[in-house]
Amino acid sequence: MSTAAFVILGFLLFCLGLFGVLARRNFIVVLLSIELIFAGAGINFIAFSSLWKNLTGQVFTLFLIGVAAGEAAIGLGLLIALYRLKHTANVDEARELKG
Amino acid sequence: MTIGWILLSLMIAFCALGVVLARSPISSAISLLIGFVGVAILYLALKAEFVAAVQILVYAGGILVLYLFGIMLTDNEALRLTRQTHLQAWPVFVLILVLFLAVGHKLYHSDYTPQEPVHMLMVSDQSQVQALQNRLAHGAAADRHATNPQRVARVLYGDYLYPFEAASVLLLVAVLGAVFLAKKEV
Repeated sequence: MSTAAFVILGFLLFCLGLFGVLARRNFIVVLLSIELIFAGAGINFIAFSSLWKNLTGQVFTLFLIGVAAGEAAIGLGLLIALYRLKHTANVDEARELKG
Repeated sequence: MTIGWILLSLMIAFCALGVVLARSPISSAISLLIGFVGVAILYLALKAEFVAAVQILVYAGGILVLYLFGIMLTDNEALRLTRQTHLQAWPVFVLILVLFLAVGHKLYHSDYTPQEPVHMLMVSDQSQVQALQNRLAHGAAADRHATNPQRVARVLYGDYLYPFEAASVLLLVAVLGAVFLAKKEV
């Protein structure tokens, strides 16, 4: 499979994740969509690491997984805070900052 | 071989679609889990065995379980019965489709052949050149029998030692922030 196919697969994951973030109401699904965006970036790193015979891409994918773990922890903390405040995980309910 | 690549890509793409379109968040999470297994198989096929193992361990073993706990704590019938998307879902869909087609066309017609590596070392002394060549040759000889985790470790703890330490600080801050956000009285 050519590198273009990997890059386009990663970009497809990014687009689907972006759609999930912008269009879904459930906060958990928004967080899962962000994980999709991370996966798209990881596929790019590994594809170019394999093409250019350079291990830096694999090391950066490890960093990416670490950042994703931190993001999951913070996101779930926010989810619990939102649920405690509004008794729902619907992001439309959190409109305090809306003018 | 090509059939395998196409099937794997289709599996990942369909799982991603399932994450975004599924009605229940549990279905989304399970779909994401299967998709991540697909991504790990892709990493394996691209000879990144260590990253594939970490992907399965951290995502399937850690992050997805965390999300399932989050779903368990916050899911209720009222949320499932409401509309699952915002009103802007269709405009967003059209915009993202346009983005995908435009950028995807550009990506498809790009050239991905590797460039010549840029030598940033400015070595003038001949003995230094000799020492560098010796070290490179020695490293290559050691690398010939090294497994993938050994090579990754050499780069991770050699060139990227300080970013690695910074990542541990990042994780510590993330854990403290999560505890602070989730505790009873903020």
